[in-house]
Amino acid sequence: MSLLERLGYRLEQRPVPPGRVVFLVTVGAIVAALIVTGIIFSLFGVNPFYAYATIAERTLFNFRGFTEVVRKSIPLLLAGVGLVLAFRAQFWNIGAEGQILAGAVAATGLALFVPLPVWLMIPGMFLAGFLAGGLWGLVPAYLKVRLGVNEIITTLMLNYVALYIVRWLINGPWKGASATGFSYSDKFDRAIWLPTVGTTRLHWPTLLLGLVLALFVALLLSRMQLGFEIRMMGQSPEAARYAGVNFLRTTLILVLFSAGAAGLAGVGEVAGIHHRLIEPNSISLGYGYTAIIVALLARGSPLAAILSALFMGLVFASGDIMKVALRLPFQITGVINGLILMFVICAEPFLRYRLVRLSAEHRRGLNGRGVESAD
Amino acid sequence: MDFLDLLTSTSARALAFSTPLLWAALGEIYAERAGVVNLGVEGMMILGAVAGFIVGQTSGSPLLGLVLAAGVGGVAALVHAFIAVTLRANQYVSGLALTIFGLGLSGLLGREWVGQPLVNSMTFVTVPVLSEVPVLGPVLFTDQYLLTYAGLVAAALLWFVLHHTRLGMTLRTVGEAPVAADVAGINVMAVRYGAVAFGGVMAGIAGAYLSVAYRPSWGEGMTNGMGWIALAMAIFALWDPLRAVGAAFLFGAFFTLSFRLQNVFPPELLTLMPYVFTIVALTLVALGKGARSFGAPAALGQPYQRGER
Amino acid sequence: MRRTVLVLLLLLGFALAQSDTLKVGFIYVGPVGDAGWTFAHDLARQKTIEALPNVETIFVESVPEPEVEPFIDQLVAEGAQVIFATSFGYGDGVLSAAERYPDVIFGHASGVERAPNVMTYMADFYQVYYLNGLIAGALSESNKLGYVAAFPIPEVKRHINAFALGAKEVNPEAEVEVVWIFSWFDPAGAKEATEALIDKGADVFAFTEDTPTVIQTAAEQGFPSFSHYASMLEFSPDTVASGQLVNWETIYIDFLQGVIDGTYTSENLEDLDYFWLLQDEAVEAAAAPGVVINPVHEEALRAAIIDHPEFGEISVYDLVFERLAQMEVAEPTFDPFTGPLSDRKGNRVYAEGEQATLAELLSLQWAAENVVGPWEGEP
Repeated sequence: MSLLERLGYRLEQRPVPPGRVVFLVTVGAIVAALIVTGIIFSLFGVNPFYAYATIAERTLFNFRGFTEVVRKSIPLLLAGVGLVLAFRAQFWNIGAEGQILAGAVAATGLALFVPLPVWLMIPGMFLAGFLAGGLWGLVPAYLKVRLGVNEIITTLMLNYVALYIVRWLINGPWKGASATGFSYSDKFDRAIWLPTVGTTRLHWPTLLLGLVLALFVALLLSRMQLGFEIRMMGQSPEAARYAGVNFLRTTLILVLFSAGAAGLAGVGEVAGIHHRLIEPNSISLGYGYTAIIVALLARGSPLAAILSALFMGLVFASGDIMKVALRLPFQITGVINGLILMFVICAEPFLRYRLVRLSAEHRRGLNGRGVESAD
Repeated sequence: MDFLDLLTSTSARALAFSTPLLWAALGEIYAERAGVVNLGVEGMMILGAVAGFIVGQTSGSPLLGLVLAAGVGGVAALVHAFIAVTLRANQYVSGLALTIFGLGLSGLLGREWVGQPLVNSMTFVTVPVLSEVPVLGPVLFTDQYLLTYAGLVAAALLWFVLHHTRLGMTLRTVGEAPVAADVAGINVMAVRYGAVAFGGVMAGIAGAYLSVAYRPSWGEGMTNGMGWIALAMAIFALWDPLRAVGAAFLFGAFFTLSFRLQNVFPPELLTLMPYVFTIVALTLVALGKGARSFGAPAALGQPYQRGER
Repeated sequence: MRRTVLVLLLLLGFALAQSDTLKVGFIYVGPVGDAGWTFAHDLARQKTIEALPNVETIFVESVPEPEVEPFIDQLVAEGAQVIFATSFGYGDGVLSAAERYPDVIFGHASGVERAPNVMTYMADFYQVYYLNGLIAGALSESNKLGYVAAFPIPEVKRHINAFALGAKEVNPEAEVEVVWIFSWFDPAGAKEATEALIDKGADVFAFTEDTPTVIQTAAEQGFPSFSHYASMLEFSPDTVASGQLVNWETIYIDFLQGVIDGTYTSENLEDLDYFWLLQDEAVEAAAAPGVVINPVHEEALRAAIIDHPEFGEISVYDLVFERLAQMEVAEPTFDPFTGPLSDRKGNRVYAEGEQATLAELLSLQWAAENVVGPWEGEP
């Protein structure tokens, strides 16, 4: 007999956790992580209350600091919303990183080599980036539906292919004349840099795009025929097949959107921040992989991805504060980020189960037995 | 340098370079065969590397370092097993978290150990008579580390266990049909814990190979993405230990060739070849035999709970 | 108007009175334990505090190049008055932040663009690589020297050429075989690149990478090599022949002293470029501090006698010290990049007696005659 039952409770599986429970459990996990992180701070001789106050002050209550949090969350939001869509259809796209790079390459190609009028350039870069990212995803999508090739593998492999293509471009054909031999492309014309909020690096057009996309995907999933098909494909492929869903067509469209969204993130990074094609690991600081976490934390909801993207942006920005203001060794941010993630997912069982008080009769029976065995 | 020289020298180096990839991939193959994906290979490897170095340096015995690294890798993997198997939480996030955590912790632990040469490192072996054999001699039997041979032996052994023993049968059943395994009286949880921990042990050894043999010193982030390549290789090998040898060799060959053929071919494009090959190979296999022949464990990545279905 | 000035002066007075310590921020691209570039900067930071007691420092490690701006924001928030950004790739971020913080003084290591409050600095190794080349040319038996190079940028090309010119001076047969790894930090790449060079017959090794990997790999075959940035002698006491060491603190101390004195302000740095060399004691030709030539190699180098156009019959050992003496003095009497020099395509680069200017060295693209291997951007 389990301890719980002795206490008069048992665990019961919960079909779909209500939103409020998801929220509370997630917050609980974060609080638990904060407590453990606080202990780590103390071990390194930093008062945890001072640490959290400093972090909050520099990220949430400081204009520049806050814009940095939001800026870091832009690529996570775009790629994350795309992944939410793909994951809903059980398409395990691990390739957002490569799709981000594909978008960055397309935008750079357009910016440097296609003479478009300036007013057309920014929408043009986004469109090109969307298509390039989308195409980068279509290969695995086609291979999966037509031949049953595992998309986790193909999307992961294509990340490396994209990475080395970018490296080749910046070391070879696209190496900038102005780069004095360094591995960069030339800089984009200043007129086509994405506008930012004041002197910060918050390139708001990309942010806006991310928010619109989140809303659109939410609508798509809840209100549109395509969204219905996507959900059906994810929940029960047999039923979807029976209902006459065209798997190839639906998968291609949804992956085009999913991977295209990551492509948009790549456009934002090169046109909004770097203004040129640079070393792939600098274009995306692992955003494509972090976006997987963003999507999984959002638990299938595109709107929740806005929150989880901001959360991850905050986690990363906090790491930066720890390095400078708290003088902590920089490796500690890895330890803490890893712990936070573990806590957040360890909370998952709480979503699947709830504690139920046993019926009075049942309890009596148990207690009776308990008394007997005590004798 | 003529073609034969290029062939033998490239092959010899490919073997040495791919040794850690092979060890880590073999471990991941077993974990995935039992149905658990562990994206934490990079994290476990780097923890193994730092543990191997610290122990090797303080004790003076690289072998002891290797043993402890294996243990550290195993313990790190148990964390993942707890989250993935017991809590049945998301395996992908758990593995990513383990990698992030491992990279951070190893850097923290290794801070004092940076910039020191290892007092006694594992040395090369040249097999007396066999090294004189043309072609095979220079490739296989000259200046290789014992761990390279051990890796090849391990691959053969693990292949045999997987396909021709009861234990292998149990492992595969757990990964393919956990419900059936459970009905047959197999403790699914225990097998999965064991397989994941074994994967960690192998990753730990792979990491220690880097810090006590391949480049006998500790450097922050010294695995430099090898764990991710090992993950890709496990899949490229279609979850088969013997094919992993070929996969590791191929990755190694292209990597070393990228430094040998720079005059003729852009190195970046050579390095990306194995990844393209993986996709092409999978496509060809699918075209030839249909997706079922992949051998992907049917329950890969799915948590199991008794009485759930 | 006058009142405003008075108030401003008063405020300035307060500011100066309160801050008799100078807060200096350092931004590093790698971990301080990389045993190379960042390690050397951090060692210099520590020596700077010792030399200038009123200087207080904050440092932050492993800052990705495009992320430098938010870190500058934070260092400024911490009160940093001077910020050193120690990687070329920080350039864009530094210049943009410098516009936003006109009162903060910036130093950009290995940078090229300056502003009224941004100076650039570099401790360059080209003379040192030349001296190492003399040693390498004499120690090689196969006449093939291996060079594991990071990126095909002017700085690295300049160093390869200098190394090759030194080797050629003592050994006309010597060739420098180059392999690129396209990274500042890639131990596995450096290892396999070295192995590739060994297979091509190279038997002496120089490199540009932030770990002692090349030294360790060459040592497995007993081949000589050279320390890079920090002393790597302890990694292989019997094979590290000499090397390139840096003393960044010479630049840091000189510049910060100027800031403390008021010589350098946030308005007059537009033309300030420290490009410090042997004569400034910013760099050192040595395997470990003070060990110009590893005693293990002394005998071989003394035995290598050549007929030198300038010094006549001379051992390579003595030649190294002669050349070092010529370049160590305040007004060097010798520079490796002095004509007649041709590139490997046969074009004359410098005529007899003509010497490379600083601007030419900073944008160097040609390859020396005895350099072998791919060379992107070759004119």
